[in-house]
Amino acid sequence: MKSLFKKLSFVALSSALLLGSSLGVTEKAEASQVTGKVVVAGSSALLPLTQQAAKEFKKANPKVSISVSGTASIVGPQSVSKGSATIGACDWDATKPVPGFNAFKGLKAYPIAVIPFATIVHKSNPVKNLTTKQLQDIFAGKITNWKEVGGKDEPIIVINRVHGSGTRVNYQMKALKGSAFMTKGENYKEVQSNGNMIQAVATTPNAIGYTDLAYIKGDIKAVAYNGIAPTVQNVTSGKYPVWGYGYLLTKGEATGANKAFIQYIQSKKFQQGSLKKLKFIPITAMKK
Amino acid sequence: MALPASEVRAQHEQQKKKQWSMKYMKNKLFRYVCLFSALFLGIALFSIVIFISQTGFLVFKDVSWKEFFFSATWEPYEGKYGAAVFIAGTLYLTFLTLLISTPIALAVAIFISEIAPNWLKNVMRPMLDLLVGIPSIVYGYLGLTVLLPFIREKTGALVGDGFLAAALVLTLMILPTITRISDDAICAVPNYLREAGYALGSTKLQVISRIVLPAARSGILTAIILGMTRAIGETMAVVMVIGNTAQFGWDLITPTSVLTSNIVMQIINVQFHSTWNYALYMMAFLLLFISLVLIVIIRKLRPKGE
Repeated sequence: MKSLFKKLSFVALSSALLLGSSLGVTEKAEASQVTGKVVVAGSSALLPLTQQAAKEFKKANPKVSISVSGTASIVGPQSVSKGSATIGACDWDATKPVPGFNAFKGLKAYPIAVIPFATIVHKSNPVKNLTTKQLQDIFAGKITNWKEVGGKDEPIIVINRVHGSGTRVNYQMKALKGSAFMTKGENYKEVQSNGNMIQAVATTPNAIGYTDLAYIKGDIKAVAYNGIAPTVQNVTSGKYPVWGYGYLLTKGEATGANKAFIQYIQSKKFQQGSLKKLKFIPITAMKK
Repeated sequence: MALPASEVRAQHEQQKKKQWSMKYMKNKLFRYVCLFSALFLGIALFSIVIFISQTGFLVFKDVSWKEFFFSATWEPYEGKYGAAVFIAGTLYLTFLTLLISTPIALAVAIFISEIAPNWLKNVMRPMLDLLVGIPSIVYGYLGLTVLLPFIREKTGALVGDGFLAAALVLTLMILPTITRISDDAICAVPNYLREAGYALGSTKLQVISRIVLPAARSGILTAIILGMTRAIGETMAVVMVIGNTAQFGWDLITPTSVLTSNIVMQIINVQFHSTWNYALYMMAFLLLFISLVLIVIIRKLRPKGE
């Protein structure tokens, strides 16, 4: 069995080398024409973006074979490290450690979009603003009644995303300044996705949760953070701090088709066009 | 142009031989196709067990047996891997589901097979078959949007998620399975037993409870165990209404978690080759083990000669 594997991997390696060298030759011969393979895996939050970009990029470069999938943020850096994908999409910079996840070594991160997040409550909730301290205490289970933060005399129900969610990582870092979440209690539950989060908050009058700004509509409303409303304008002007970059990751520097694909997403044409239409914020809009 | 008779015969003979060897080949080939199909299944099952257990047992390099099975603290990011909440949760949820669903399913089965008029039987049976085929996510969604607000309102629970919601959704899911198989088992009880009962002056209730049900006992047990395996393995519907929190929920309305829901919530979000990943595989192995044991029990329960 082992020798079979060895043989197989040898064949695969040598064919890859052959293919690679032939590609290298053609690249020199006609520099303008991009060829190669792009495999994107990872974040489902960034999936609409990468899908759209793939469609447009493929039209401009028909010789590139490109496939895009989305599962979870952590899958992005993992599959790039393992080699099953050439580009990993992740909601945080996986080259640095974040709460709950170690840094991935040898990867390079390219920011491609700005994703704003907001604290959400049920539409009927009179609370309009929460401070960092209040949010920290609510999500840690220390404040348990809405009346303590200026609302009705009702228990607070905390709805959290599952550990590993990119939205959770960003919210914990940016809104809660890294403070810990509660893990149990009869007023606490975890949900699997943004969709489930919205469903849960919309059907639970005393719930609090958080989601991507783009998802807010219907029976939920966004709460201001330290007095600042979560709007695209406040994000780009630097007033509203609860946002994160979406990243594409490659193993080492991006090369060939992968480099061209990342450059295409970062290009002004895509950032100002399709990216805005999909309700992301262009990276160039941020005033640093 | 006529050939000599001997030559004709020889040709004929040769043809016959050819035909015969073709037939022989076909038969052999068919046999091997069947054999390999069977082998393939066996290998698939075998490799699933090996793969899951191999990865799963790696967890015991970092976590002791005692902690994994008896600690209730599941905080993988803190290095605490106590799966007792999930194991107990799975058993408790299954027990609860069976407690609710078995009496109802039996009553429905008895009604269909013994009491209902023929036209109603012909409506009920296809209806139950349809219910079996409804995807679990649909049940989960119903639970999420209809059952949870209802439970919150009636019990005063804060969230509504928990064992009660999960058990009710699961009951609805496995009810048709148990009913249909019990129904078949009851119908298989020969009529002369019933007639003998009536001839001795029994009432309908006596015939059903003293004669029909005992005679159909093993079939009904099979039905219950099949329902049980479905309840244990069910994931999608449960994950939507259980609350997904690693704490015991004995009071039925506290958010909690079971093996399946915890695996599906976390498996895509953990790093490969981490203790956390191994722990989830171990939980999958436990599930596999429990259902294999149940299936062995079914085989043992089956009366001899059937």
